[in-house]
Amino acid sequence: MSYIVLDKNKCKSCYLCTDVCPKELIKKSDEIGKTGEFIVKFEDKENQCLGCSQCAIMCPEIAITEVHKE
Amino acid sequence: MQVYSTPKAIKENSNFTFCPGCDHGLAIKTIAHVIDELNIRENTIAVASSGCSVFLYNFLDVDCIESPHGRACAVATGVKRAHKAQGNNKFVFTYQGDGDFASIGLAESMHSALRGENITAICINNTNYGMTGGQLGPTTAMGQITTTSQNGRNREYHGFPIKTAEQIAQCEGTCFSARVALYDIKNIINTKNTIKKAFEYQNQNLGFSFVEILSSCPTNWKLSPKESHEKIKTELSQIFPLGVLKDVKND
Ligand SMILES: Cc1ncc(C[n+]2csc(CCOP(=O)(O)OP(=O)(O)O)c2C)c(N)n1
Ligand code: SF4
Ligand code: SF4
Repeated sequence: MSYIVLDKNKCKSCYLCTDVCPKELIKKSDEIGKTGEFIVKFEDKENQCLGCSQCAIMCPEIAITEVHKE
Repeated sequence: MQVYSTPKAIKENSNFTFCPGCDHGLAIKTIAHVIDELNIRENTIAVASSGCSVFLYNFLDVDCIESPHGRACAVATGVKRAHKAQGNNKFVFTYQGDGDFASIGLAESMHSALRGENITAICINNTNYGMTGGQLGPTTAMGQITTTSQNGRNREYHGFPIKTAEQIAQCEGTCFSARVALYDIKNIINTKNTIKKAFEYQNQNLGFSFVEILSSCPTNWKLSPKESHEKIKTELSQIFPLGVLKDVKND
């Protein structure tokens, strides 16, 4: 199972990661982050994550700190 | 298997203080990955400048020195030469905004290139003075609205923008000059490879190496981070074409 590690305290709600995930696994959550906006969440109930790291490469805050690929 | 990790050249527990979606974060992260890959963290001295770029020393886990506005290439020259005189071959690079590099610091920047100073300069071109509130800068595009060009940049009053990477490529002491962008994955990876090449050229003592990064300033552009990347892709990269403008190894 591939997965990412998201540091919620670093997310600034720019949503750039939501556009690059080929499986659309990163979405706006209902949790407010440090900029006063909704931060993102990673949800992968069907184990679709490819471990491609595109979200991590795109995140300007290094809020996606790790990507693990199986 | 872990396939992505935070670069080691980023200080632990550091949080970028840039506006949400600002490409300064992406640029610094990309530089940190290159420092990791080349394994030069212990031997690197970064020269920060004035502007949003100034915060470099808070985030990069390398020795840093702060320079007065525009003077980063002059400071880097001194750092590189002083260490060389002691027999130390330090790796020295500057991180500057477009206002810093190409306006107030144009003389220092261009003469460093003309001297073929063996340093690397990285210039964040976000087409305005970001830190001070989005004023017109030397790279502001024709027609672009800023806080000091409310009707758009025009030829009569403001004149034309500078194409920095092309100008630096013209200097004989320049070994490498390129313009890159960060608006999608392909371009971020290309930016990393380009910076790596510029850094390697310094290690080979080939002269002045330069990378201009077309970057977003969502706050002053009054666009979302996504719209800002779209603007770079569709508008700015037409005005400031991406690519390698000089490479002594290929010319
Ligand atoms: C000698 C001097 N003049 C003016 C300033 C004010 N100042 C600080 S940052 C800045 C503009 C920086 O713009 P740029 O280099 O494009 O970097 P950005 O903030 O867009 O990353 C100015 C004019 C200063 N710090 N020092
Ligand atoms: S790219 Fe990073 S900062 Fe932006 S929304 Fe995604 S996790 Fe948050
Ligand atoms: S003002 Fe512009 S350049 Fe400065 S941190 Fe904000 S978005 Fe980035």
